[in-house]
Amino acid sequence: MLFIELLKTSWQSLRVNPKRSFLTMIGIVIGIAAVITIIALGNGVKAKILKELQATNSGKQTTEINYYPNDSNAASQGFTEDDLTQIKNNFSATLSSVKFKRDTKNINNTVFLGNETRTATLSLVKGGNQHYDIDVGRNIAKSDNVINNQVALLNKQLAIKEYGTEENALDSALTVGDDTYKVVGIFTKPTDDYNVDFLLPQRTYLYSTSAQNGSIIKLTFNKGVKVSAASKKIVSFLKKNGSSRKTGSYEYTDMGSLLSGISKVISSLTYFISAIAGISLFIAGIGVMNMMYISVSERTQEIGIRLAVGASARSIMLQFLLEAIMLTVFGGLLGFLIGWGTAALISLALPFKAIVTVSSFLLAFGVSSLVGIVFGLLPAKQAANKNLIDILR
Amino acid sequence: MSMIDIKNVNKFYGQGESSFHVLHDINLSIAEGEFVSIMGQSGSGKSTLINIIGFLDDEFEGKYFYYKHPIHEYTRAQFSKLRNQNVGFVFQNFKLINTLSVGDNVGLPLLYAGEKRQAIKSRVREVLAAVGLSNAGEKKPKNLSGGQQQRVSIARAIVTNPKFLIADEPTGALDSQTSREIMTLFKELNQKNKTTIIMVTHDEKVALQSERIVHILDGRILSDEKVGV
Repeated sequence: MLFIELLKTSWQSLRVNPKRSFLTMIGIVIGIAAVITIIALGNGVKAKILKELQATNSGKQTTEINYYPNDSNAASQGFTEDDLTQIKNNFSATLSSVKFKRDTKNINNTVFLGNETRTATLSLVKGGNQHYDIDVGRNIAKSDNVINNQVALLNKQLAIKEYGTEENALDSALTVGDDTYKVVGIFTKPTDDYNVDFLLPQRTYLYSTSAQNGSIIKLTFNKGVKVSAASKKIVSFLKKNGSSRKTGSYEYTDMGSLLSGISKVISSLTYFISAIAGISLFIAGIGVMNMMYISVSERTQEIGIRLAVGASARSIMLQFLLEAIMLTVFGGLLGFLIGWGTAALISLALPFKAIVTVSSFLLAFGVSSLVGIVFGLLPAKQAANKNLIDILR
Repeated sequence: MSMIDIKNVNKFYGQGESSFHVLHDINLSIAEGEFVSIMGQSGSGKSTLINIIGFLDDEFEGKYFYYKHPIHEYTRAQFSKLRNQNVGFVFQNFKLINTLSVGDNVGLPLLYAGEKRQAIKSRVREVLAAVGLSNAGEKKPKNLSGGQQQRVSIARAIVTNPKFLIADEPTGALDSQTSREIMTLFKELNQKNKTTIIMVTHDEKVALQSERIVHILDGRILSDEKVGV
């Protein structure tokens, strides 16, 4: 008999009793889904660690050090050119470069507006931005950035507070650092990053402040350096010698150790969940075996008829074995999809994405076929070894 | 030419002290094209005998030559192939698989012979027409009458063009009108297609429609005589 016909025969038999077939599958579905979920999360955290620790293509690793001022209204950005030079000189062996990480959103700065000096928040825009509406005047255009045009947008609330009406605020002067900007428009309904007092053209602003300072620095290490330890050394160096050490604190967020912590939790969870999945698969396998034994004894007549019309014992055995394997493989594939979905859902609440690989798929496929073979073999053998004369009598 | 040659066949059920001697030194020859009835009371061993003849039972003592081939030396795997290619069975209670359609039931022997679906389909249509059930292919056996189910069973038996048919009480579960129809079908197969038929029955009227009657009592052949014709 052709193998494809055997497959069709087995499939037909399963469809005769869809409810029973489905219930038998559930155990496999749960077991495989649990394994796939935890493996997908484990893959996700591993990939994230690699990405965090090896940012540049050449294998050089990067970290960031943040400066947090004690007084949130403080004008100081934290790092100056001087700090950078010091770090470069003292850590030249391990560092390949130190740069400011430029803030472009929610920058604190001292501005002169109307008749008084105040601390205000500002964000930088590249021009033609859609994250807010313009009430009066015009938006900052891309061309403003190209020619370093010193123009600004003023928040509607601030405009009304300072000038009474929005129209009055237009064309007024705003001084940031040493530069004076002309207010050309009033904006309203901004999204999160733009909910600030002023918006300035990004290139114009960065050009004029000429990389003097910043609140985040980006460190790039040479190959083979243990970034976590080296970053900590630099932080303690800054705590002693940093220009703003008295007005705030330097902090290094060790993403590597954070992630390796999560990774440890996940790998111990993996053992735990694998154990549960193993038990679930074992019990599911026994369920399959049980169902197959029932099926074999229910279908004794059918087996007898098939044998009488010329089925070999081998094709009877294969038919029942294939039924068991189909059952578990369908369960496995369903479990794979459910596990994938679950992992994707869980990863929404975690700082990384769940990753399902081809090998996870092969694992689900392999394990479920194996369960089918192991637990389907004995019932199938029983079916094949039935005594034809006893059945037909 | 002698097709089936059975020499000194003995059959026991069970083993040791409690064993039961079912067949005693059976000697029987059946030629191609014969229509033989085997008669006897229940428990006389007639079913046991046709199980051996039909390659269903491979546990017997003595010799069985089928076209000079020594069947008593064959293995179990060879038996399935032998059954598939040489013999068709018709049982008293039809023995159809209820979860399969009539067409699939009839095509089953061809499936195990390794035929392709397409070839099977046309052959099934052919034999269903031959037994007068052209339109029943898609139906389930349960939805047919007893006589129709027996026709399906006969269609399944002849679908592989077997050398001989084994019919175990083929009319046992049918009323007399349907019985007559089935017997007519058998005679037609025997005369038109030259199919050898070996039938077990305890109904004298049915047996008389064959060409030869073999009486069995307590596992021994009592008489073997030509009838009719």
